[in-house]
Amino acid sequence: MQGGSSGIGYGLKYQARCISDVKADTDYTSFLTGTLSLKEENEVHLLRLSSGGSELICEGLFSHPNEIWDLASCPFDQRIFSTVFSTGESFGAAIWQIPELYGQLNSPQLERVASLDALVGKINCVLWWPSGRCDKLISMDEQNIFLWNLDCSKKSAEVISKDSAGMLHSLSGGAWNPHDVNAVAATGESSVQFWDLRTMKKVNSIEHAHVRGVDYNPKREHILITAEDESGIHVWDLRKAKVPVQELPGHTHWTWAVKCNPEYDGLILSAGTDSAVNLWYASASSSDEKPSQSPVESIRQRVNPLLNSYTDYEDSVYGLAWSSREPWVFASLSYDGRVVIESVKPFLPRI
Amino acid sequence: MATEAAPMDEKAKRMRDLLSSFYAPDPSISTSGSSISASFDNINSTSFDADQYMDLMIKKSNLEVLLQRHVQMAAEIKNLDTDLQMLVYENYNKFISATDTIKRMKSNIFGMEGNMDQLLQKIMSVQSRSDGVNTSLFEKREHIEKLHRTRNLLRKVQFIYDLPARLQKCIKSETYGDAVRFYIGAMPILKVYGDTSFQDCRRASEEAIEIIIKNLQTKLFSDSESIQARAEAAVLLKQLDVPVDSLKDKLLEKLEQSLDGLQIKPEEASLLAEHNDSSNDAESNEQLPAKIHEDAVRGFSEAMRAYREIFPDSEERLFKLARALTAMHFENMELYIRKRVSAADFLRIFRIIWEDVVLMDEVLPEAELSDLSAEAAQVTVKKFVARTFSHLQQDISDTILKFDINQREAVEEEVLKVVLEASKKAGIQGTTDIFQDFRQLLDENIGIFVKMKDLIIGWIQNGFQDFFRSLEAQFLVLSGKTSSSKDIEGGLVEGKSSDKIHAGLILVLAQLSVFVEQKVIPRVSEEIAASFSGGNSQAFENGPAFIPGELCRVFHAASEKLLQHYIDTRTQKISVLLRKRFKTPNWVKHKEPREVHMYVDMFLHELEEVGKEVKQVLPQGTFRKHKRTDSNGSNTTTSSRSNTLHNDKMTRSNSQRARSQLFETHLAKLFKQKVEIFTKVEFTQESVVTTTVKLCLKSLQEYVRLQTFNRSGFQQIQLDIQFLKAPLKETVEDEAAIDFLLDEVIVAASERCLDVIPLEPPILDKLIQAKLAKSKEHNNNNNTVSS
Repeated sequence: MQGGSSGIGYGLKYQARCISDVKADTDYTSFLTGTLSLKEENEVHLLRLSSGGSELICEGLFSHPNEIWDLASCPFDQRIFSTVFSTGESFGAAIWQIPELYGQLNSPQLERVASLDALVGKINCVLWWPSGRCDKLISMDEQNIFLWNLDCSKKSAEVISKDSAGMLHSLSGGAWNPHDVNAVAATGESSVQFWDLRTMKKVNSIEHAHVRGVDYNPKREHILITAEDESGIHVWDLRKAKVPVQELPGHTHWTWAVKCNPEYDGLILSAGTDSAVNLWYASASSSDEKPSQSPVESIRQRVNPLLNSYTDYEDSVYGLAWSSREPWVFASLSYDGRVVIESVKPFLPRI
Repeated sequence: MATEAAPMDEKAKRMRDLLSSFYAPDPSISTSGSSISASFDNINSTSFDADQYMDLMIKKSNLEVLLQRHVQMAAEIKNLDTDLQMLVYENYNKFISATDTIKRMKSNIFGMEGNMDQLLQKIMSVQSRSDGVNTSLFEKREHIEKLHRTRNLLRKVQFIYDLPARLQKCIKSETYGDAVRFYIGAMPILKVYGDTSFQDCRRASEEAIEIIIKNLQTKLFSDSESIQARAEAAVLLKQLDVPVDSLKDKLLEKLEQSLDGLQIKPEEASLLAEHNDSSNDAESNEQLPAKIHEDAVRGFSEAMRAYREIFPDSEERLFKLARALTAMHFENMELYIRKRVSAADFLRIFRIIWEDVVLMDEVLPEAELSDLSAEAAQVTVKKFVARTFSHLQQDISDTILKFDINQREAVEEEVLKVVLEASKKAGIQGTTDIFQDFRQLLDENIGIFVKMKDLIIGWIQNGFQDFFRSLEAQFLVLSGKTSSSKDIEGGLVEGKSSDKIHAGLILVLAQLSVFVEQKVIPRVSEEIAASFSGGNSQAFENGPAFIPGELCRVFHAASEKLLQHYIDTRTQKISVLLRKRFKTPNWVKHKEPREVHMYVDMFLHELEEVGKEVKQVLPQGTFRKHKRTDSNGSNTTTSSRSNTLHNDKMTRSNSQRARSQLFETHLAKLFKQKVEIFTKVEFTQESVVTTTVKLCLKSLQEYVRLQTFNRSGFQQIQLDIQFLKAPLKETVEDEAAIDFLLDEVIVAASERCLDVIPLEPPILDKLIQAKLAKSKEHNNNNNTVSS
């Protein structure tokens, strides 16, 4: 079934939605992924790219009590990660620690560091403090946003502050601003909302419907990228958030996730439900353009922003992660449980 | 001779020296000439020392030499002696004769004094006599002189008394030149004595002169007089100190005022053009505005010619006037073409203006009117071309938007079709008209147009290029795909406007883009190649000329973009529907399915609408059951067959355990060809509908995947999907893909179900039948109501 792909594949046993780069692992390029199975026993896989970059090795396999909807690795401790899970009827979120005894047990139990159980609604995602060692976490459910203080040694987490977005907004995900640790973006039903964590109040919003994914440009301040159901990918400048700076066509069906490369400015990866991952290059000049120039013209002038389209997937691709250690490597996860690691090196000279 | 002359000279010189030394008081001067070579041995020198000389001689010379010297010296002394004797003798002679003369003079002088006294007396008497004569004649002479003066005065007085009469005579004979000369001659006298003795006379002559001035003025103003005469009159008036400048100003002002009359006012222009038009039909109507205008301009130029001759110093002003008229003409022209004007009318007006310019140029060639007007004409023609294009674009967008207003109320009446046809027609008709117009422009053989031909062609080509580009941009703006530059500042405006835009309009625009790409642009490029080529070289310098290939690409891209946009807006609408459906209920606590959920109806209704719109606008594709490339066509059949097999299995095995069933589905999926869900959209009714359905079903699947279902929830989904199957297959060309997608939805639901037990087929059938019956009843009701 595999076409002429350069990607390295790895199959999970069940369906899966989320994959995360293990940022704290400085020795290897590793990813964490968790399965989404309603009826079977779910697993968390710790995958490591072999030093030659030709193989994907399962470094650890741990059972997880519930199906995993969201997974995020701790940015400062490679053994800690968070999951958002569902029992089918209710949702929960927890912080886990990978036990020391790697590979000895087939399916060792994960150590639960803390559970973020102040959640009332359907929790969507857990965000870690964007960089450095800080025990702050954010969790979002459909109506609320919580700021947690995690204490690993005491194995507890406390809510520092919370705010309600209101019934109507039904938050679905978000991103923590790497340039300003007090700012968090959350995607809602009809808008992208921005919160100031100091006051825990909503400060700004982009009125744009059906945003699925959101990511800050780690290289440039004020630049935000959103992925939408029907209308593709938009690049925004938060200082003038009324009109997008740039528009990328996105995917044939929904664009589910969008990720900015941590190292190469303007390199954007998007995953879609049309079973494809697209690599874009949104030229760096986009925000320096004169405001008089309409986005159409600027797009027209530019060469095709699509660098490559990886289409060797059997199902919708939901999970997407750049490696922070080797920033030209990314991992993608399609719904059928296939992890594919690709390198974008061949396209770097074109930037 | 020289040797002979030298001693002669020597001798003479010596003589002269001797003489002069004899007479001269200062011997140094006399000897200065010979003492140049003075030394001891120079005897002639005053400082000559005979002893020293002697000593030197004795010391230096031998006896022989001394002897020789002695002889020589003796001879010289003898010589000198005789010379001196001669001199004395000669001088003595002279003394004697001088004394004689003096003696004689002395004797003659006696008696002279008496004669002299006598002479003096005589002269004195002569003088007194002449004085006497003079005094006796003086009075008479004085009298004569006085008489003469009086006579002159009298003559002048006579002249002045005669002046009025003479002037009258001159007036009668119209010899104003003489009259003016007379009058000016009499002027000084009249000035001095006019107030006293010649009062009447002066008054009379002034009256006469006034008449003359008046006559001259009328002559100057009258156009019937010859220019020569008028010029003379002007000169005479000037001589009479009549302020000619004010006259000139008055005249020129009059001319300026007449300029207003010469204007072709925009509102009149059309009239002018029309009348001109009608003149072709009815020649009897003599007093046509165009004719009048022409006469007026002719008069104007004649007047200018006259004034130029009369007032040579007023040239500048006339130039200014002529330029002003030309400028005004072109300004009015611009105003005129601001409204819609056909090329014929435009040309007619242009021709009139050009004729005017030519007329004026003849009179004032130095005013460089032709250059000025050529420039102005270029600008005007360029503007005209640009305006024509903008009118065309306006037309097209007007046609599109005209119908949009009533669209909401009357979707049924195939408005979209009407709009499409109308816009197509507007496009084709518009370009045809434009070509006709431009051809007229090119065929025009006014000098200026011939000159501008290349430029015009360049403009036209550029114009088309720009026109199509802006048309495309406008299409995109109309579709709401892009906000126009005006409301780029407000993103909210954009969002609202895109909501307001009717999806059907986008579809129309898409199809219109295709039409432009396939029909209009080739046609235009043909036309350009046929009759507007040649201007290329010039056009390329100014910018890109008409490049049909590029435009085709642009419109092709635009059409695809618009079609995609149409599908996007449509699926977006359905997506909202589905989102509401899946977000609202708690699927884990779903109740047993009782009927097909109503969102299915809404979904089908939306699809129906899409179908309707598509049918109005897009062509029907050649009906192909499977939308795949021919190479794997065989695969398609197998896949669809496996699908149907799988369907049979599904129905048969409904009673079996759900898990084994799922396993089978997975297995079936494994062996099935990966169905290409997302094929390229084509400009056919079927393709668009199919794509829309596919996208919606995919969305449905994704929504299902985000939920967790209990048994009843799953059964509800199963029921809904089962119901959808039949109507969807009817509307869609790619059954295999639809089957696959519907199955996928059920698979997704079963995967997300805690307790998968499908509905029994009889129950499923029953519920579907009930729904069908209900909808039929509903339809019947509707029909009865409507009938």
